[in-house]
Amino acid sequence: MTPLVLTLNLTLSFAALAALALSLDRHHRDAFLTRAPRARARTLRLAGWAGILASLAVAVAFEGWNFGPVQWIGALTGAALLVVVLLSYRPRWLRPAALAALPLALVALPFALRG
Amino acid sequence: MRQGFRQSMAWLHTWSGLVVGWVLFAVFVTGTATYYRTEITDWMRPELRTGATFDAGRAADLGADYLKAKAPDAVGWFIGLPQPDKPVIEVHWWKDLAGPFHHALLDPATGAPTTARATHGGDFLYRFHFELNLPPLWGRWIVGICAMILLVSLVSGIITHRRIFADFFTFRRNRSHQRGWLDAHNVTGVLALPFHLMIAYTGIVTFALMYMPWGVTAAYKGDEIRFYVEAQLMPEVRAPAGKPGGLVSLAPLVAQAQGRVSETLEHVAVHNPGDAAATIVAIFEEPHGLAHLHPQIAFDGASGAELGATAIAKPATQISASFVGLHEAHFAGPALKALFFLCGVMGAATIATGLVLWTVARLPKPAERPGLGYRLVRALNVGSVAGLPVGLAAYFLANRLLPLGIEGRADLEVRVFFGAWACIAVAALLRPHLAAWREAFGLASLLFLAVPAVSALTTGHHPFDGEARFLGFDAAMLATGLLLAVAAYQAGRDRAPRRGEAAEPLPGPRPAAHRPSAALPPTALPPKRAASGAEEVRRRA
Amino acid sequence: MGRPHEHRGFSYRAGVAGRVVLAVGGGYGLAALLTALLSLTLPLTRAEAVAAATLPSFAVMVGAVVFVFAARSLGRAALGLGALCLLLGGGLWLVQGQA
Repeated sequence: MTPLVLTLNLTLSFAALAALALSLDRHHRDAFLTRAPRARARTLRLAGWAGILASLAVAVAFEGWNFGPVQWIGALTGAALLVVVLLSYRPRWLRPAALAALPLALVALPFALRG
Repeated sequence: MRQGFRQSMAWLHTWSGLVVGWVLFAVFVTGTATYYRTEITDWMRPELRTGATFDAGRAADLGADYLKAKAPDAVGWFIGLPQPDKPVIEVHWWKDLAGPFHHALLDPATGAPTTARATHGGDFLYRFHFELNLPPLWGRWIVGICAMILLVSLVSGIITHRRIFADFFTFRRNRSHQRGWLDAHNVTGVLALPFHLMIAYTGIVTFALMYMPWGVTAAYKGDEIRFYVEAQLMPEVRAPAGKPGGLVSLAPLVAQAQGRVSETLEHVAVHNPGDAAATIVAIFEEPHGLAHLHPQIAFDGASGAELGATAIAKPATQISASFVGLHEAHFAGPALKALFFLCGVMGAATIATGLVLWTVARLPKPAERPGLGYRLVRALNVGSVAGLPVGLAAYFLANRLLPLGIEGRADLEVRVFFGAWACIAVAALLRPHLAAWREAFGLASLLFLAVPAVSALTTGHHPFDGEARFLGFDAAMLATGLLLAVAAYQAGRDRAPRRGEAAEPLPGPRPAAHRPSAALPPTALPPKRAASGAEEVRRRA
Repeated sequence: MGRPHEHRGFSYRAGVAGRVVLAVGGGYGLAALLTALLSLTLPLTRAEAVAAATLPSFAVMVGAVVFVFAARSLGRAALGLGALCLLLGGGLWLVQGQA
């Protein structure tokens, strides 16, 4: 059960942090060659923070208040590292990777719930 | 020291980081490896098979039998019961609380000393992590002081680095040399910052009463044992009666204790074993939770009657114990443990990149001869960052290559570790700087890559033998070897000091000062990077 | 600031050395006094008071070290830290006198 919850945490954090990264002009340029339009940046930022909160909610719901936050922060760190690596070596892959992470999270969710 | 708050903090970060960086790098690397201590020990004792379960009561009696014959006059016995992942009875005994502490490993089937090869295994890395192989008191104080300075360095680093959020994901590897190192230092430091703060603080808290005994001094007149008993960290232990006495069989007590507590029974301690007032203490694994609290039950050694047990600890003690638990991460399953490991690696990387950054930021102009201090720092960087991996690989190879029967084999492995490390440290002083990096990383890479092959040749265990017993360990060795090969390649390719860089207008060596990238003119970029630099400029346009 | 500090002279070095000594001694002293005082005065059982007082003491020391290095002058840092230590020491003396 824990590995599944961790998968859920990692995918959610990855998508959320990717959105936050893309809301910053510098990284938006790396990935799309243009600045992030104001409205889009705001949406991305909102989605990013929502994803981070969702990841915390998932971690606490499944693992409780003692292990949940530990797992949440651990997953955020791992996912952030992945975002940075992608951004500096394959910036254009970031968006597809983040979009792929979301359905992965959806697939992991029912298994985590059942376990 | 500079004027202004941020400048003083930048100064503090730079210099506090430098003075403890070399020791802390070793502490982080060995500590990170310690997450896999049992796996390392398992690999280093290939003769023992893991996975079986054992009769704890019988094992306890076998341990006691051995100790009765070996050390009837000891003041303490400590019997580690065999577990599926650690198939030996580990006994310690001491005749004086100040040591020396003797130690033996017994076969759980016969109670005789094990025939497995003599090695300190993962325990060496574990102990080195907080004692540096020095006398325990010295080692713990040195590591504690380093951890304290690390905390200061972290706090001053956070204050210094004002663009934490804006630069959160930024790693400009294609830009100048110095900016690349700065970004690498910032990224590894900031992304795992919760871990770094946690691990430094909880590490200090692990030996809190040693470093900060004044609460116990004030409230308990220095009687630490009394504090432990009242905090429910250990049961009451009786003073010796001064008359000789017999000791009951441990097996029934083990069974009785196991009936009371559902956790795994890990240790049986016997205080004053030959005395009429001997006390037997059953010590259990910590219940699943963050807190590092081992339930314990004490018995009368002569009659077997129960004397007392630890109760549930109160909140402040629980929180302190959770700090220790977080540091050790025993609660973590395989996936979470891998994340802790990753964070530990990032910690080591933060320290290593910080050390390199110090030298890169102070690169002398081409005509200038670097000063003695500068050259010493550079050599120490190579010696610690590239020397330690060489030592580790040599330690693992020594485990497979040293003859099995020789006297003092376990200590010899440790000597190989330090010997190899020292050789690299000395070579770093003698060789040209870049060559030293390249050669040390290259050697470390070769040694790590050799570990699985040497292991297969000497033990017959290899990934394709149908059992693949050490698959994880072999994979870790190969991955480390490849990573070090990349490091050696990069060191050879990328690190040549270039005129353009020394002249690059970075205001300071520290995360502090640089303004939001007023795009650098392409001429300031290192020639080899010019192509990618041009792309960068095009993107910015 | 890429160059070593050779040109900065004796008074600069003495100042840095003074801050290091003050940060180590004063910081530890402050943390130790606070730990001892809280261990005796927190309204908890004896063991809990000691645990609750010891746990944050290292953060107190870090704070003190940062303060010493951030202060405008060594004198100010010494004065601030000294006053705090005196206060805590006085409190400890009173509490122990009562006991």
